[in-house]
Amino acid sequence: MTTKGEFLASIRAQMRTARDLFSASVAKRPEHPAAEADTIRRELAERWPAILERFRVEFERVGGVFYRVTSLDEVPAVVGRLAREREARGLVAWHAAALGADLAPALEARGLDVHEMPAGETAAAAERERLRAITAGADFGLTGVDLAVAETGTLILVSGAGRPRSTSLLPPCHIAVFDRTALVESLRQVGVLLEAWHRDGAPPATGAVINFITGPSRTADIELTLTRGVHGPKEVHAIFVEQGIRG
Amino acid sequence: MSDGELAIPFRQRAGSALKDAFLQEALTIATTKFIDLRREAFEDFPEGEALRDRARAIKEATLQRLDHYLETLIANIERLGGHVHYAKTSEEARAIVVDIARRTGARMAVKSKSMATEEIHLNEALEHAGITPVETDLGEYIIQLAHERPSHIIAPAIHKTKGQVADLFGREFKRRVEADPEVLTKIARDELREKFLQADLGITGANFAVADTGTVVLVTNEGNGRMVTSLPRVHVALMGVEKVVPSLTDLMVFLAILAKSATGQKLSVYTTLVRGPRRAEELEGPDEFHLVLLDNGRIAQLGGPLREALSCLRCGACLNVCPVYQQIGGHAYGYTYPGPIGILLTAMLEGTRSVRDLAHASSLCGACADACPVRIDIPRMLIALRREVDEKKIAPWVERVAFTLLARLLTRPALYRLAVSAGRVLQRPFVREGTISRLPFFLNDWTRTRDLPAVAARTFQERWAAEQGRTP
Ligand code: SF4
Repeated sequence: MTTKGEFLASIRAQMRTARDLFSASVAKRPEHPAAEADTIRRELAERWPAILERFRVEFERVGGVFYRVTSLDEVPAVVGRLAREREARGLVAWHAAALGADLAPALEARGLDVHEMPAGETAAAAERERLRAITAGADFGLTGVDLAVAETGTLILVSGAGRPRSTSLLPPCHIAVFDRTALVESLRQVGVLLEAWHRDGAPPATGAVINFITGPSRTADIELTLTRGVHGPKEVHAIFVEQGIRG
Repeated sequence: MSDGELAIPFRQRAGSALKDAFLQEALTIATTKFIDLRREAFEDFPEGEALRDRARAIKEATLQRLDHYLETLIANIERLGGHVHYAKTSEEARAIVVDIARRTGARMAVKSKSMATEEIHLNEALEHAGITPVETDLGEYIIQLAHERPSHIIAPAIHKTKGQVADLFGREFKRRVEADPEVLTKIARDELREKFLQADLGITGANFAVADTGTVVLVTNEGNGRMVTSLPRVHVALMGVEKVVPSLTDLMVFLAILAKSATGQKLSVYTTLVRGPRRAEELEGPDEFHLVLLDNGRIAQLGGPLREALSCLRCGACLNVCPVYQQIGGHAYGYTYPGPIGILLTAMLEGTRSVRDLAHASSLCGACADACPVRIDIPRMLIALRREVDEKKIAPWVERVAFTLLARLLTRPALYRLAVSAGRVLQRPFVREGTISRLPFFLNDWTRTRDLPAVAARTFQERWAAEQGRTP
C-alpha cells in the first residue's frame, strides 16, 4: 500500500514539473469572521421583512410549505392540523433546549404522540438503536433551524446534542420552526457565518454534520419525472415565529 | 454495460446507439431539458459569470499548492478521529475499502452515488469479498438491478423507460408493478429504507473536501447521502485528490454554481457537510470515518497536458450540450465517464491508447467549454489528444498518411494547384450534386459519416486571380 509520505512525494515531484496555467488565488476569507457576522446580523435586523419574503418565495418554489405565526403558542395548532389532515400522530422532536421551547405538552394535548430526543448525554448503543427505530417509524420530525437562506430557500441544521440528524431525515414529513435570528440573505453570508462558527469556536452545536436542506427529497431519475420523497421527507414545512422562539 | 462490450469498436457501439429509437428520444428530451434548466438558472443569477471565473481561479490556485492543502485536510481529518488512506491505483483503492469492510465485519454496504467508486469498479470487488453493495441513488439502483453502467454523470438511468424499470422491479420483487414513476419511486424507497437500517458500511464519494476544516461535502437530491453518512457504523468516502478546496469560503463559491450547472436548481436538495465520526453527544453517525484519497492517473496530470481537466466538478453540463453525446448517449463511450470531459478523463485514467477512437468523438464545436461552470477548455485538450494519438502512431494508418500528405500539400502552393486540377478529374465518377458521399476502398471510412465537398469548377484563388485581371 502507498504511504502518506510516498503519496505526497509523488504530488510534489509532479508539482515541480508543472507549469501554472495562470496566476490564481483562492477566495478571500473574512479576516474577522465573528465581527463580520455581527455586521451582517445587524444589517439584516433592519431589513428582515423583505428577506423573509424572499425566503418564502424561494422556499415555496422548491416545494416547501411556509407558515407565519405571531408567537410560539400557535405552533402546536399548525402541527395539529397537519396531523389531522394526514391522520397521523407519531412525532419525534429535537430536545426542548435545542428547539428553544418545550412544545411537547401542547402537542400531546392535540393528540400527537410525542417522542422528545434526549438532551445529549452519551447514550448506550442499545438506547440509540431504540430511538432510531422510533424515529424511523414516526410520521413527523420537528426541528429548529440554525440558518434560513433567502437566496435559495434553504434550511441549515447543525447536528449535535439533542438535535439528531435523523429527525429531519427519516420521518416523511419534516416541520422546522425558526425566527428572525436564523434569517440570512445569501450563500456568501452563509460562508461568513460558517467561518465564524469554525474559527471563533461558537457553532450552534458541536455535532459532526451540517445539513443544507433545500425543499423535500426529490428525484427525476425515471424519465425525468419529478418525484418527491425518495429517501428523505416528502414534505418540508417551515414555521416562522414573529415574536422569536426564545422570547 | 459490461467491460466485455469494449471489445466492440467505438464505431459499432455508436452505430447501435443511433439505431435505438427510445434512446434517441430519451437523449433529446433529457439533454434539451437540462440545457433549458441550466440557462434559466444562470439568467436569474447575474453574479454567476463572475463566480464561474472565481471558481476556476480557486481550482487552479488549489492545484498550485495541492500538497499543502492535502496535508492540511489529512491533519484535520485525523485530528477529528478519522483515518486517511492513500491509493495510487484503482486496485489499491479497492483493496483499502475491502479491507476496511472485512476488518469491521461488514456484510452489506450502502452506497450513495459516486463516480469515483464506479471508476475503480468497487462493486465487483466487494461482491467478490462476500460483501453486498447496494446502490441507493434511484438511478444507480435501477442500473445496478439491470447490471448496467451509468449513461450520464448525474442522471445515470436516463436511457431507461418507466416500462423497463417496472419490468425490472417486477422481476426483482416478484410482483406486478405499475409503470408509474411515483409508484416505482415508492417501491425503491421502501426497499432501500430496510437496507439503510441494516447496512454496516456506508460508502460515498465526495463532491468537495474542505482542507481548513476536514469537512467532506456530499451533494444529493434524494437524501441518500445523508442516510449513508448517518446510519451505518462505518463511513468510507472515496475521493480524487483534486476535489480538495481550501476553505469554507471557497466551498460556498462552488455550491453557488454547481447545482445550477447540473440541474438548474439553485442548490441541490441536500448539501451535507461531514466532519469525521459521530461525536459522543450525538445519537447517530458512524463510529469510524475513513477518507480514501485516490490518484489513479490524476497526479501525473498535475504537470501533464490534461491538467485543466483536474478542475472538473462532474456537473454533467458539457455532456448535455455536446452534439455527439446528444446522439449516442453515455454507454457508447464505453468507459465510466462519458461525454467530452469523459474522453479526457478516460485518457487520464486509462492512458491515451484507450481513447484512440474516442479522441475523435467530438465535433470541436466548443459548446462544452461555454457550458462548463469552471470554463475548462475541453476542445483545446481534445485537439492535443488527437495530435498525441497521431504522434504515437496509434491512429489508423490511412488517416495518418492522409493527413501527412495534406499537410505537405497545404504548405506548397504549386503542388496544391496541381492537386486541385488532378482532383477535378479524379472525382468525376463520385460527385453527386456538388458533394462526394461515397469514396471507394478504405477511403470510404471518411465519407461513411460525412460528405466531402467536391473540388469546385473554379477555385477561389482562380476566381480571385481572374478578378484581379491576372492569370494564375
Ligand atoms: S468539464 Fe465542466 S461542464 Fe463538464 S462535467 Fe466537468 S465541470 Fe461540468
